[in-house]
Amino acid sequence: MEKRLLTLNVNGQDYELYINPKTLLVEAIRDHIGLTGTKRGCDTVSCGACTVMIDGMAVKSCSVLAMQAEGYRITTVEGLEVNGKLAPIQKAFIDNGSYQCGFCAPGMIMSAQALLNENKNPTEWEIKEGIEGNICRCTGYNSIVRAIDGAAKGKYTEAKS
Amino acid sequence: MINDFNYLKPGTLKEALAMYAEHEDCKVICGGQSLLIVMRQGMIAPEYLLDIKHVRELDYIKFDAKDGLRIGATTTHRAIEKSDVIKKNYPVMVSMENKLASIQVRNWGTIGGNLAHADSAGDPGPVLIALKANIKIGNATGERTVALEDFFVNYFETVMDHELVLEIHVPVPEPKSGAAYQKFNLLESDMGIVAASAAVTLDGSGKCKDVRVVLGNAGSTPIRVKRIEELLIGKAYDENLFAEAGSMASVDCEPVADIHGSEEHRRHILGVLTKRMLKQAWEEAKG
Amino acid sequence: MNKYTVINPHSKFTVLNTHVHNIDGVAKVTGRAEYTFDIKLPGMLYGKILRSPHPHAKILNIDYSRAMEIPGVYGVVTGKDTLGIKQGIWRRYKDLCDEQILPVDKVRYIGEPVAAVAAITEEIAEKALDYIDVEYEVLQGVYEPLDAIKKDAPEIHEGFERNINVTRHIEWGEVEEAFDEAEYVREDWFKCGGQAHMCMETRAAVSSYTPEGKMTIYSSNQSAYYMQALMAGVLGMREGDIRILAQYVGGGFGGKFELDGAIFCSAILSMKLFRPVKIVYTREEDFIATKRRTPMFYYVRTGVKKDGTFCAREAKVFTNGGAYTGMGATALYLTGFFHSFPYRWKGYRYDGYRVYTNTLPSTSMRGFGAPQAMWCSEQQIEWIAADLGLDPIEMRRKNSHYEGYEVPGQATIASCGIDQCYDEIKQWIASKGTLPANRSIGISACGFMSGGIFNWFDTPYSFSSAVVTINQDGTVELHVGAQEIGQGSNTTMAIICAEALGVKVGDIKVHSGDTDHCPADLGAWGSRQTLMTGNAVKMAAESAKKQLLEFAYAQSGLNIVYDLDIKDGWVHAIARPERGEDFVKLAKKAIRGKDGQRIIGRGYYTPHRKGMISPAYSYMLQGVEVEVDEETGKIKLCDSLTAHDCGQPINHLGLIGQLEGAFSMAAGYGYLEYMPYEDGKLMNPNLVDYKMIRATEMPPANIAEIDTYEPEGPYGAKEAGEGLTNPTAAAIGNALFHRFGIQMKECPVRPEMILNALKEKKEAQGK
Repeated sequence: MEKRLLTLNVNGQDYELYINPKTLLVEAIRDHIGLTGTKRGCDTVSCGACTVMIDGMAVKSCSVLAMQAEGYRITTVEGLEVNGKLAPIQKAFIDNGSYQCGFCAPGMIMSAQALLNENKNPTEWEIKEGIEGNICRCTGYNSIVRAIDGAAKGKYTEAKS
Repeated sequence: MINDFNYLKPGTLKEALAMYAEHEDCKVICGGQSLLIVMRQGMIAPEYLLDIKHVRELDYIKFDAKDGLRIGATTTHRAIEKSDVIKKNYPVMVSMENKLASIQVRNWGTIGGNLAHADSAGDPGPVLIALKANIKIGNATGERTVALEDFFVNYFETVMDHELVLEIHVPVPEPKSGAAYQKFNLLESDMGIVAASAAVTLDGSGKCKDVRVVLGNAGSTPIRVKRIEELLIGKAYDENLFAEAGSMASVDCEPVADIHGSEEHRRHILGVLTKRMLKQAWEEAKG
Repeated sequence: MNKYTVINPHSKFTVLNTHVHNIDGVAKVTGRAEYTFDIKLPGMLYGKILRSPHPHAKILNIDYSRAMEIPGVYGVVTGKDTLGIKQGIWRRYKDLCDEQILPVDKVRYIGEPVAAVAAITEEIAEKALDYIDVEYEVLQGVYEPLDAIKKDAPEIHEGFERNINVTRHIEWGEVEEAFDEAEYVREDWFKCGGQAHMCMETRAAVSSYTPEGKMTIYSSNQSAYYMQALMAGVLGMREGDIRILAQYVGGGFGGKFELDGAIFCSAILSMKLFRPVKIVYTREEDFIATKRRTPMFYYVRTGVKKDGTFCAREAKVFTNGGAYTGMGATALYLTGFFHSFPYRWKGYRYDGYRVYTNTLPSTSMRGFGAPQAMWCSEQQIEWIAADLGLDPIEMRRKNSHYEGYEVPGQATIASCGIDQCYDEIKQWIASKGTLPANRSIGISACGFMSGGIFNWFDTPYSFSSAVVTINQDGTVELHVGAQEIGQGSNTTMAIICAEALGVKVGDIKVHSGDTDHCPADLGAWGSRQTLMTGNAVKMAAESAKKQLLEFAYAQSGLNIVYDLDIKDGWVHAIARPERGEDFVKLAKKAIRGKDGQRIIGRGYYTPHRKGMISPAYSYMLQGVEVEVDEETGKIKLCDSLTAHDCGQPINHLGLIGQLEGAFSMAAGYGYLEYMPYEDGKLMNPNLVDYKMIRATEMPPANIAEIDTYEPEGPYGAKEAGEGLTNPTAAAIGNALFHRFGIQMKECPVRPEMILNALKEKKEAQGK
C-alpha cells in the first residue's frame, strides 16, 4: 500500500495531508485535520452524524474516501460561522431548541444548510426529506423542521446574538 | 476495518480502462455508497481500487426524441432526480430516485455504481427493466450492450467480466405509456422489503399493447413476471385482471424471509404492489 | 406544524416557562462541544474489546501472547487483571451485584467482554483481537424467561434457583374480595419487546491512570458520581482519587448510568500500562453489548363493575433479565407499580419475576418498565370499555387518581391534573370530526415518578446537592452534580437559579459533569433531576440570596415590616420597587462585608417519608391518530396530542423537546423498534435493520400543559420527559383496536402481525 499526498480544502483552507488512501473523509477531517465537530454514529451510512457539504451538497463523509474529496470545497460545521457570527441556521437551531444532546447537531445542521442552499422556500415535507438521512434520538425532529422553516423564511438574518 | 489497497485515480475514461485492464484484483469505486460498507465489513478486500468519480466523460444525461435517454454511469442519483428532461419523459425514474436512500447518498452515489452492485433490493433495477433499458458495459478491449434484464445474474453478481458500467440507455416510451414503482418498507428512506414496478403501453382502442411487471427483492435478481404479460396483452382495463396479475406475481418469485417478514408475507405484499402499480401505470397511460 | 397551548402560564415568574435558549447551544451548534468521542490525550492508546461468541461458556484459558507480538500493541487485559469484584448498581443488595464486566470464569451472553487490548492505533488494536486465543467450554444456553425457570434449565448464576434473579410483590386491599365484587372480569397475556437506547454517541471512555495513583476518566455517562463510586469499588481505589469528566454526553436514555465495558476496560488497561486508553464502541457493539429495555411477559386479570368502576387487578410478570441484574430490579418494581396508574384499585396485586437468561442484560430505559405496563393496562382497559359498551374516556376518568389520593401503602398524590387531561383529549378528538376511512385515534393514560426514594445505591450523600456562588461582578457560579445528557438539565438548573436569585440565565455559569468540582448527585435517571436537583438549586440560590439580602437590609435601614426581593438584577423593597439597588453593585459591597469572601449558598435534597416510590407524580393522556394500509399492514402516524401535567413547567423549550423526543422513542417502541434474538444472538445490530423514526415518519406532537402545583417540587415542578415515553405504544394499539377490532398483544406491532390479526378475525367471523 502506498501512502498518498492529498490537499483538502476545508472551510476555505487548504490542508496538505499524507494518508493511507483508505482514509475516509470523516477520518481525514476529524483525525488528520483535527476538526472534531463532525461526528460518527454508525458504520452503515445510516445515521448522518458525519454529514458535511461538498460544493454545497450534503454528503455523508463516512462513505467518501478522502482521496475523492480533493478538488472540492468541503464545508464542515466549523465553517458556517463567520468571524464569530453564527449562520442563520445555527441561530434557528438555538432559538427553536432543535438539539438536545447535540451529537447529531453538526451533521443535521449541514443537511439543513445544504437544503437551504438548494431550496429557498422548502415545504414542510421537503424539509423532512432534506433531513431524512439524519437520525436524531433526542428531539423527535419537529423542532428541527421548525428551525429550518424559520431560517428559510428569513427569521434569523439579523446579526444579533 | 477496511483493508489496505493501492489507489488508482484515472483522469479520463481511456486511462480508467487501461488501469483496470492492468490490474486483475481491482475493484471500481465511484460513489462508494454501497462499496465502502462491504469493504468495511471485510467482505471485499481488493489489492487495487480504481476511483472513477472524476471521470467526467461518464457524467451526463442526454435525451433524444428518437434515441431515448442516455445516462452516463457516474451520473449521481440526485442529478437524475432533479433532471427536467427525465421528469418529463420518464417521471417514474424521478419518483423512484426521490425515495432512494437519503439526499446525502443520492448526492454522491451513482446510477452505474448502484447497478454494478446488483443488490436485489436496489430501486433502479426493477424500474429500468420495466422501461426496457439497456446497459452498456466495456473494458479496454471493447464495449457491449446488454438488456438490463439480462445484466443481473445473482445476488450482487452481474454478467460483467472485468468490465465497467459505461451507460444506461432507456428507449423512448411509446405514446400512451405509463410506468409506476413502489416499494414496501417501514421507513420512507429504506430499501424495499419487496418492491414492484409496472410499465404499460396501450393501443389506440385503450387495450394493453405491452406490459412489464418487474419485482424487486423478490429473488436473487429483479424478476420480470412474464405470465402477467400473457395475461394482460390485448385486454381492456379490468381491476380483476390486476388482482389476478398480483396473484401471479406473488407466485412467480422467490422472496427470502428475514426478520422483516416471512416468505408468505412478502408474497402477499408483492401481489398487492403489483396490482396497485399496474393500475397506476395503466391510468397514467390512459392520459 | 405543531401547536402548543400552555394553559394558565404563571405570569408571576420572570424566567420560569419562558423562551429561554439552551445554555449549551452555541457549543453544540458550532461543533465546539467536545464529547468523550472527541477526547484525545497525549500518549493516548486505543482500546478494543474481544467479545464472547458464545451465550454461555466457561472461560478455560486466554492466551494473548501472539497479540503481544504485533508491533504497536501495548498490552492486553483479562478478568485476571482485575480484582474480580462482582459489581452492580444496587450496591446495598450484594446478591444483586453479579457482574464482573471482564468475567474471570464464565461468559453469560454473546458479546460479553472477555479481553481488551490497547495499541497505538485503533486499527492495530482491532487486528490484535484475532490474535487472542480463548479456550471456552461451551455450556447450554437458555434464552427465554419461561424456559429459564424450568427445572432442567442451565444455571446461569450460582445460587439463583430456577434462574430467578429478583422477585417483587406489590399488594393492597383485599384482592380476591375485590374480584368477587366485580361484575365483569377479563384476563389477557401480553408480550412486550425490548428496545435499544440507540444513543447517538455510542459508549465511550478515555481513562488515564498516573503514577501517583490517580485515575481520570472521560466518560459518556448519566451520572458522574455513580461512575466515580462504582469505579472506586471495582478498582479498589478511593472515590476521591478518581475524577470523572462528562461535559458533553451524546444521549443516555437510561443506558449510561451503570459501568460498561468501555469505562471498565479502558481503566483496567490504563492501570496496567500507565497510558491513557480510549475505547469507543462501534454501533454494532453498542447494539449487542450495552444493556437494553426489559422484555416482559405480562398476565393481567382485571375485574370491574358493569358501570365501569374498577374493582380489582392482578398482574403476573416475567421479565427477560438477560445475563446480569443491572437496573433490572428497579424496572421490575416500577412496571408493577405504574401498571396500576393512573387509577384507583380496591384490590391490587402484582407479582414480578425477573429471570436470568443468556441474552443481553436488560436494564433501565426511558420509562423504566412503564411503557410495558401501559401497553398491557391501557389496551386491556380499552377492550373492557368496548366489552361493556362504555365510553373509554369517561370510564377512565371516574376511576382516576386525584389530588390527595393515597395509593395504599405506596404513595400520596400531592398534585394531579389527569381530570383536565381527559377534557383536553376529548376536545381534540371532537375537533377532528369524522376521520378518513383509513384512520383512527387511540388514547392512553399514564402517570410517572419524579425520581425515586430508594437508596439502593447506598450513598451517604444527599441525593442532590448544589452550590451557588456570587462573584463580585454579579456573575454566578452554579455547581451541581446533575448530569446534562441533552435533556437540558444545565439550562433547567440555571433557570431555577435565575428565578430564585432574581438574575438572568446569562449571568449564571453552570458547572456539572466533573466530580473534582461538583457535588455528588445521583444523576440523570428516573426523571429525578428537575425535582431533586432543582430543589437543591433553589435552596442554594435562596441561601445565597438571603445572605445578600441580609447585607442589603443592614445597608438600607428599612423598617422591619418591609421585605426585600431581587428581580431582573434589581434588589428592591417589594412594597416600594423603586427603592433598591443594582444587584452587581450590591454584590461587590456585600463581599467586602464578608472579609472579601464570595457569597456562597448551599442546597441539598433527599426525599424523606415520601412513600415507597417517588416524591411526586406526573400525569398525562395522549391521543394518537394512526393511518393503516389495510392491505399491507403498514402504519403511518398522522397526528397526536398529549395533555400533560408536570406541575409548573420550568424549561419551556426543554419541555417541548422532551415531549417530541419521548414521543418518537415511544412510538418506535410501539411499531418499529423490533429487536429479535435467536439463540442469544441479536439479529439486527445495525441501523439498516433496526428501524427508528426519522423526520419523515414523525407526526405533529402537540402538547396541552395542564396547570397544577406540586408542593414537593421547585416552584411546583414535576418531571417531564420520561413519563412521556409511556403512553404511545398503547395509544397506537388502541387506534388499531378502534379501526379493526383487533387486539394486539405483542409490541412492537409490525405489518405482518396486523395482517395476521385481520385474517384471524375474518376467519373467526366466518365460523
